[in-house]
Amino acid sequence: MNYQAIRAAVENPLLSAFSGLSPAVPVYFDNITAAPPNTTTEYVRVNVTFGITNEPTLTSSVDNARGAIVIRIFTEKGRGPARNQTLLTTAVNVLETLNDTAKTTSGVFFRVGEINGPTFSSTEAAPHFVGRIDTSYVATVLS
Amino acid sequence: MAKRDIKFLVNDIKQATVQAAQEAAVDIMNSLAEAGPVWTGRFSSAWYAVPEGGSPGGARAEGKVYKYDRRNVPATRFKTGTLYRIVNGMDYAAQAQDLDPFDPRKELTTGTIRPDKLRRGQRPTNGLRGELLDGVDSNRATAPLDWYMTYINGGALNRDLGRGAKRGFGTFKPRGFG
Repeated sequence: MNYQAIRAAVENPLLSAFSGLSPAVPVYFDNITAAPPNTTTEYVRVNVTFGITNEPTLTSSVDNARGAIVIRIFTEKGRGPARNQTLLTTAVNVLETLNDTAKTTSGVFFRVGEINGPTFSSTEAAPHFVGRIDTSYVATVLS
Repeated sequence: MAKRDIKFLVNDIKQATVQAAQEAAVDIMNSLAEAGPVWTGRFSSAWYAVPEGGSPGGARAEGKVYKYDRRNVPATRFKTGTLYRIVNGMDYAAQAQDLDPFDPRKELTTGTIRPDKLRRGQRPTNGLRGELLDGVDSNRATAPLDWYMTYINGGALNRDLGRGAKRGFGTFKPRGFG
């Protein structure tokens, strides 16, 4: 099992998509300093988690893993949902692209499930407006 | 040749279905209790299977990870509708399930675990959400970030549902056929 390859399969395209925006939006993955120091800077947090590995009934391959992807978009509070939704669209487009990627003979075959959300929220304590989506995934390591 | 009105067989199947739902609910609630945060044990004891529109109760116990059995899921729960939900009754449940918004930069309170309470690990000093230290005997006072969505989406829910339902349907005994 190559967990790093699975993680990279989803993290790399997300990082590329948000880095390619103008201005670029910082993305924070697991085990990285939680957020930028400026309280109003917009940013993205991506949490990729692993559930069951090598579930025997999933496919004929035993080298597979299931898990969850949770993406939180932090934008400035009090300025409406438009910017947050624009960034959410970027994230959803990446997930949809993953599902459109053809299966090859090597690497990681990655499929996400239905996308829940977006849900929007904010708290008095938090200086951001938060948009959140989550989905399941199934990844098979082919090489 | 044994003969019996089909309506009795339908009742037998209904009974087995209820038992399957009960067994699955018990497995799911035990997994949620185990996967989630256990600071005092109250959250882990507050999972309920409720029919649509129903309300969960509060904490059942504290001091340890709660262990569910079929007494926590009475068969009558499954007779008022075809849909039921497994929900946590604590008022901070959405926060504990990482469904409420949070500020990732906000340091968690470390607090002091009372000696008579469950010592389920530690939060690191100045720790942030999702950061946890291994505690004594792999205990922990919080849970990994997005533990709930991982349980839902990572295959464990399907596994528990399948195992529990299989056990419940295993009790199916058509009566009156010989």
